[in-house]
Amino acid sequence: MTHTFRELVAGGVLLAPFVTYALAALVIVQIIRPVLRFIRFADMFSHASIAELSVYVTILGLLILCI
Amino acid sequence: MARLEYQQADKTAIRLPVRATSALPAATQFAFSLAGLPISSWGFAVRLWIAVTISLLTSFWLQLEAPSSAALTVLILAEPTRGQALAKAGWRLIATVIGTAASIAIVGFLNQSGDLILAAFAAWLGLCVYAAGLLDGYRAYAAVLSGYTVGLIAVQQIDSPQHVFESGMSRGAAIAVGVLSITLVNNLLLAPDRYPRLMVQLAAMHRRIREYAKAVIRDEVTDATATASLMREIVAFHPEIASLATESSSGSLRGAAARSTTVALVAELRAIRALAALPVAADPVFRERLASVLDRSDDEPPSISAVGHAIDSAKNLTDATAAPLVWALSELLRTDEEVRQNLAALKSGMRPLRAWRAPLYQSNRIAVGNGIRASAQFAIASALFVLAGWPATSVPLFVVALVSALGAATPNPRGFTTIALIASPIAVALEGVFEFLILDGVSDFPLLAIGLAPFVVGAGLLISGPSPGLASLGRISLIFFMVIFSPSNPQTYDPQAFLFSSLFVCVGIGLLLAAQFLVPPVSHDLRRRWLIASARHELGLVLSRSDRRYAPEEAMFRDAVRVGQIVAAAGADLQHRISIEEALSYFDQAAAIRLSNAKLTQLADGPTDSPLASLAAEARTALVDRDAQRIHAIARSLREAASGDEYLAIEASAALLLAGAVIEAAPPQAANAPTEKGS
Repeated sequence: MTHTFRELVAGGVLLAPFVTYALAALVIVQIIRPVLRFIRFADMFSHASIAELSVYVTILGLLILCI
Repeated sequence: MARLEYQQADKTAIRLPVRATSALPAATQFAFSLAGLPISSWGFAVRLWIAVTISLLTSFWLQLEAPSSAALTVLILAEPTRGQALAKAGWRLIATVIGTAASIAIVGFLNQSGDLILAAFAAWLGLCVYAAGLLDGYRAYAAVLSGYTVGLIAVQQIDSPQHVFESGMSRGAAIAVGVLSITLVNNLLLAPDRYPRLMVQLAAMHRRIREYAKAVIRDEVTDATATASLMREIVAFHPEIASLATESSSGSLRGAAARSTTVALVAELRAIRALAALPVAADPVFRERLASVLDRSDDEPPSISAVGHAIDSAKNLTDATAAPLVWALSELLRTDEEVRQNLAALKSGMRPLRAWRAPLYQSNRIAVGNGIRASAQFAIASALFVLAGWPATSVPLFVVALVSALGAATPNPRGFTTIALIASPIAVALEGVFEFLILDGVSDFPLLAIGLAPFVVGAGLLISGPSPGLASLGRISLIFFMVIFSPSNPQTYDPQAFLFSSLFVCVGIGLLLAAQFLVPPVSHDLRRRWLIASARHELGLVLSRSDRRYAPEEAMFRDAVRVGQIVAAAGADLQHRISIEEALSYFDQAAAIRLSNAKLTQLADGPTDSPLASLAAEARTALVDRDAQRIHAIARSLREAASGDEYLAIEASAALLLAGAVIEAAPPQAANAPTEKGS
């Protein structure tokens, strides 16, 4: 079955489905930030910035695949 | 006994250690360099070029209508660290939304007349500059960006108002592409974090303040302007600290630790100044013993008992003199220890023991003055364009709005416009060479990317260089270069459009500079007087309901921001020196009153009918009236009324004696400020 993507409609303006996913992933990353901090996620990697970007990309990918 | 008077303080300045400006030790900082420039600068310049290339490629691929906005966004977000670029990007997005909404509203209401749109835009620009005057750092930048976004959207579509919405959407999309490009490049190509360097700078500041404390204790007289300059340097960290939150998952904790460090540094400086207001023994050995209390490594805990031993050894100190001295020294040690702990929290990414807010003081009066002036300057420049009746004036109008708004967020708007005036012919020459000699009609993207490299990397090296003037010149030249080039797919290579744009950009900035001379910015002298008047007024309101919004340490920081602004209203004349002494005196008095009040509040938490509670109420009235004699008398009564183990009453008494000494030490012009009863 083909996965369908619904457009976001804001006041009659259609926004690409990717925008919704990108924003939702950003919100989720912000929500899990305290958890990442608690488990000292940044200290586990030599390049924390790449690791945190990877978390964002993973969440974005999962959202697009699953929802 | 000797007395460290204010009047003594400016005989000679002590030599303070030089400010550390880099996270790396001097020996290793330039260990890796290429063509005489540090490798970090090359890294920044190459990242910038890659981000510009990616933003243009993406915009062309998505067939966006305004690909130049994406490249411009990258250039505007060119910050050396990741957190700063991200913070600026977030504010840029928010400001674009506000600016687009304002554009639609302005064009919607006034679409019948282009002149009215320009007038409304001038008013909107003034409003945004006013808002920027009440903020700092990237928030101020966002405010001015909301202003010139209207120039980008509404003014460029002034002849076709029905396209404003589409234009806004296409600009918004291009800006989002620019933001994503630079974020991705910074993350993947390991742009440095800000906090390691900030930590070194704050630790260096802590060492300087310790040296200053020792100089005060040893009675090596110090300059009031040196103290005020230290305050200015501490509060200057405020805008940078805000960008720590976006750096990593522990960024918000590091931001809180850095913020609390700056607040504690100001509190330590306050404790040193309170100590300077006290009479201490003239014996140099005794002074040296007191100074040695601060000679400890960062691993050792502070020793209050060492203070006690030092005071006990001074045989000529009376009880009334010793109590405030012990109190002032213990405050100094407490704040010194707090700074040390906050620095440790910043290093480890932990929450500080006590997270302070760092409220900002911004003068409403100065902000209004700047807003009105920016509005008038833009109105004059745009009126001349309208009267001239030239075609294609939307580009210079946008450039005028851009320079006017960005300049308003700097301390010296006229200086910024002058740099822009120098940068515009440079940008025009470079763009002409690039478009008509290097590219000369090519339509392949790889050639465009390779052709851009020397210009963007060269300007990137200037931006990340040590000279602030050259950095501004590099940044503005590169922005103008991109505005005039205005990449599109396919590129038009129209010499006439190039000539018009180049001429109008140079003329527009020249007109703006002329308008800034015609309507000069708020003078330093006037600014200083307004700030002093505000400090005097707020000292009159100390302990009132409005003053209780902040803890004493936070209110101290806010006052220190104002002292920093008074120092910034530079001048080497006598009047300037007197202003600084007056401002510092208001700062000292307000802080001493608030801290004493905090102690009295703790004391008054007991039974309301106790004699201590009534004495506390009397003391509070005396503090509001700034009556040093009454404060001293109540402090003595409090000490006598307290039994041996009531340490709170003893501390409150010592704090009151110290506050009395600070109020007595105020210079004559600061002593007779009006008082208002607290509510």
